[in-house]
Amino acid sequence: MSLTARSKTQSDLSGSLFSRLKTMLAALDPFQIAGVILFVAIWQSLTLRLPAIILPTPLGVVERLFADFLSAPALSYYGVSEANLYGNLIYTAENVAVAVIAGSVIGILTGLLSARFGLMRAIVDPIMMTAGTVPILVAAPFLLIWFGVGRASAVCLVVFYVAVILYVFAQRAATNLDPVYEESARTLGATPRQMVRDILVPATVPEILGGLRIALAGAWGLEAIAELLGSQSGVGKVLEALAGATDPQGIMATLLALGLTAIIVDALAALAVSRAASWSASAR
Amino acid sequence: MNTRVDSRMIELVHVNRSFKRADGQTVKAVQDVSVVVEEGEFVCLVGPSGCGKSTLLQMVAGLLEPSDGGIAVAGKEISGPGRERGMVFQKDSVFPWMRVIDNVEYGLKCRGVAAAQRRDIARTYLARVGLAHVERAWPRELSGGMLKRVAIATVFANGGRVLLLDEPFGALDYVTRRQLQSVLLNLWDEGGSAARRTILFVTHDVDEALALADRILVFHSGRQVDDLAVTAERPRTVDSLLLPDMVAIKRKLLAHLGLEEGSAASRIAASHEAGV
Amino acid sequence: MIATTRARRGRWISVAVFLALAVIWQILSMVYTVEAQPGEPMIAGWQILFTKTFLTLSDYWQGGLGVPTVADGAERSYLAALLSVLSHSADTIGRMALGLLLGGAVGLLLGLAVSWSRWTRRLFDWPLQFLRTLPLLAMVPLFQLWFGTYFLGEVLFVAYGIAVIVFAGAVNAVRNVPQIYIDNARSLGASRWTLYRTVILPAIFPAMRSTILLSLGAGWSAVLGAEYLGAQSGLGFIIVYAQQFAYLDRMFFIALLFILYTSISYWAIGRLSARLLAWAPPSQRR
Repeated sequence: MSLTARSKTQSDLSGSLFSRLKTMLAALDPFQIAGVILFVAIWQSLTLRLPAIILPTPLGVVERLFADFLSAPALSYYGVSEANLYGNLIYTAENVAVAVIAGSVIGILTGLLSARFGLMRAIVDPIMMTAGTVPILVAAPFLLIWFGVGRASAVCLVVFYVAVILYVFAQRAATNLDPVYEESARTLGATPRQMVRDILVPATVPEILGGLRIALAGAWGLEAIAELLGSQSGVGKVLEALAGATDPQGIMATLLALGLTAIIVDALAALAVSRAASWSASAR
Repeated sequence: MNTRVDSRMIELVHVNRSFKRADGQTVKAVQDVSVVVEEGEFVCLVGPSGCGKSTLLQMVAGLLEPSDGGIAVAGKEISGPGRERGMVFQKDSVFPWMRVIDNVEYGLKCRGVAAAQRRDIARTYLARVGLAHVERAWPRELSGGMLKRVAIATVFANGGRVLLLDEPFGALDYVTRRQLQSVLLNLWDEGGSAARRTILFVTHDVDEALALADRILVFHSGRQVDDLAVTAERPRTVDSLLLPDMVAIKRKLLAHLGLEEGSAASRIAASHEAGV
Repeated sequence: MIATTRARRGRWISVAVFLALAVIWQILSMVYTVEAQPGEPMIAGWQILFTKTFLTLSDYWQGGLGVPTVADGAERSYLAALLSVLSHSADTIGRMALGLLLGGAVGLLLGLAVSWSRWTRRLFDWPLQFLRTLPLLAMVPLFQLWFGTYFLGEVLFVAYGIAVIVFAGAVNAVRNVPQIYIDNARSLGASRWTLYRTVILPAIFPAMRSTILLSLGAGWSAVLGAEYLGAQSGLGFIIVYAQQFAYLDRMFFIALLFILYTSISYWAIGRLSARLLAWAPPSQRR
């Protein structure tokens, strides 16, 4: 059994992009595609009964997405600094990326440490657990006053959100780790630093990365609403402008663009998870 | 304690260990155990579950500290784990996030042995335990018996002179257990009797102890209650277990475990039942 | 035993941590006396929060019950402030509660319907995943455009956010019901409908608990987001309205109130579901 499993992994890794695409296509489920077609058909039939000002057609939304992607001059009338979707998506994605990286470093470090040092856990846990249940969005207006309108307050909000989620995941992963691994490493002569590097971190990576994907999913919406509350650019600012112009087609096109970006980033994250956690059976 | 007599490898002097139970009561897991193990000896610790044999092993490993008393290995008082003492755990301790070969190398890597050299050593021991063909596999791809082989290869590769095995084969089926016993004995015996490592082996399987040990220490309720020498020739076969000496030892062991009449343990158990 | 003493110790440490935070806040308010606006300290001490700040909340009283509004020229009063806090709290909590009931019911029913067979599950897989990936909070403007900014729009938005999560959670939970229960019931002769009613529904309950707690968080976020952007009442409305004048003390007071409500809702739902789940082995009570 072990031998077949191993040779399969190797051929997976050495397989060309083309053969991988082929296996992906073969894995496609006709029912899933039929589901998408059904979804679009229901939407289309609804547009026949509702005015376009309420519900635009699916095709109209897609066309609008392509049209606005590189140039949407109307946006500049509403004070959006970049008059296209592309630039605003980049702005939002940059903020999310910076915030997710900073937030995960903070969250993972404090989470892992708190799992091994009882005093730290006793002090940090009440704060993090409260912050974990209360919607962090409540802090947004405060950040707008303290940091002003712009990148800093939005990024700060998302950093906080990501840090709290990863704190919980990292702590749980480290607490649930079977002590036999650390005992075994100690008897083999590992120093405390080696134990963190070779045992604690790799053992908790799959669960932590799972948390990272969850944090990432929420981060897009939080970043967008922070921009809606006060920003000069970003997807949220575009949404605010389009809402002011009562333009549901534009709003849906923008949401579609944001949703697709989120899906692509999540797929990349999933790939990273399966790479980093290739040892774990559950990651496959 | 520092005046080491040449052949003494492990010395336990009046070792005690107590635990606080959840309800606040103190439990004496190990009581006043004094043992001397000679270099190259294969010693099995036998006793019913909860008799303190695993606690004792963990103290020799340095994972637990004695509440009282001292433990010396190779003439030096121990403090914490050390690489001269390798441990094989009952649970699977092979790191699932490292490939098999990286697991076997891990101890050597920890103390900075050069990559090429440690790979050679690891390959040697993987071959000895019959796993040369899976060195690049992930642990999740291996069976329970193969994982134990990896754990054994790891401690042998790390080069400790003392090996501590805590019911290592307890969870395996009969055939696999017998195979692993011979893997272990072959590794122990590979350089002839002069190069043998010292082994403390905890088990609750009487036949396993008889097949492996030079000497069997019997524990009950945290105390050492017997010390039996097993003199049968090696390699031992099915026939060796039928020798009169071996049958006598087996009878004694079973008696200690309360499975045969006339033992201290069964008398204690009986008196408990009688409410004395 | 040791677990309960440890839990009790943990609770004392939590209380101490929060008390320490309150004291630090007070010390900060005395050391850092910068004002966002004249008479509006950046950090308001507790003695100010519960007197002057509370009194200013009567500005947001929208009239009725014979208590005149500040906008009509009346003096600020503690009665108006109390009524104001209560009525805005009621708006926020009402939106949340209605949205939770509506979204929870719709999400659960749809989830169970889709889980009826493997075909329907596969059919709905991709549209469902797509809806889940759309960032909820970014959809506030769309819902307000469709359903307005007062009650219906906010409730439907909350309901949507909760329904998507409950829907996905229900589908996932049905998929994860251990096959052995299903096989056992079928070997005992259960029909499909009986199987659904007597095996699947109770079996998904433990898994649904975490889904409900998750949707609670999403629901509160959705209420707050909707109230930040356009609603004319509710706690979120006061926070954003006060923010435009940099009234940090009022924002802080209302934010504390909001945190109190959300914490109580988590505690209540947690207790309730724990009681309903008393039969489940601890490993399943996630």
